[in-house]
Amino acid sequence: MHMTTFEALSDPTRRRIVAALREGERPVGDVVRLAGIHQSGVSRHLRILDEAGFVSVRPDGQRRLYALRPEPFRELEAWLEQYRQLWEARLDRFGAALDQKRADKTPAPEEPEP
Amino acid sequence: MTDASPTAAAQAFVVVERTYKAPAEELWALWTTKAGFESWWGPQGFRVEVHTWDARAGGELTYDMIADSPEMVAAMKNMGQPVSQATHGRFGEFRPHARLSLIHVIDFIPGADPYENTIEVDFFPASEATRMVVTIQPHRDPHWTRMSIEGFNGQIKKLDQRFSQG
Repeated sequence: MHMTTFEALSDPTRRRIVAALREGERPVGDVVRLAGIHQSGVSRHLRILDEAGFVSVRPDGQRRLYALRPEPFRELEAWLEQYRQLWEARLDRFGAALDQKRADKTPAPEEPEP
Repeated sequence: MTDASPTAAAQAFVVVERTYKAPAEELWALWTTKAGFESWWGPQGFRVEVHTWDARAGGELTYDMIADSPEMVAAMKNMGQPVSQATHGRFGEFRPHARLSLIHVIDFIPGADPYENTIEVDFFPASEATRMVVTIQPHRDPHWTRMSIEGFNGQIKKLDQRFSQG
């Protein structure tokens, strides 16, 4: 997990580009139209996504076709899963503390007289 | 990358939830009283020592997170991390027995600008139990998260063993 993974997705325009590419490989013109963004900055955004590993690009005659790559999404998912496990463990502790507190409040049963 | 803003982590939430056989008031107390918080907060192998506790909307909290098992003390030293970390933050939302948010100021990561980390907790009463839903913004600093995971994984295993024996 690199900082660039987060940074690449920190921009709403780039998130729209990613969403547009979910349908499959697209030329720049389609990306601009589907994402509803300005033509002016699209090359820069695609370059950033490319550098962060989110998109691949291949020439197709005069065009360049962009597509999503799965690796950073898997990485993001794995990272979030690890984070979730940390919190599951934390809630184990929460549950144990709750049990302890309830046990402390419950009066101990009286020992029967011998 | 001049337009990179640290908002991506805000887009990625981790949600964990549990249902406990206890009224919401008791769960709430573990989050909002000093003794309750100290009884569970922090990962296994650490204890928490609260210094400021102003449990209300906007109220401040400060505490030390202290490695207190020999294994964790050794692990922190190995990672070049302090064994005690002063931590501060504040309560955000504060709706008793219903919703709470805890905002921590993460200003102790070398080389990283300070940022805030929010934890939201919702309590949903359900007959004789309460469902607690915790929504966390993962720390966006990858070093800190990786360190946390490496440091804590061993402890989590121990916890699992303890529960499976119980």
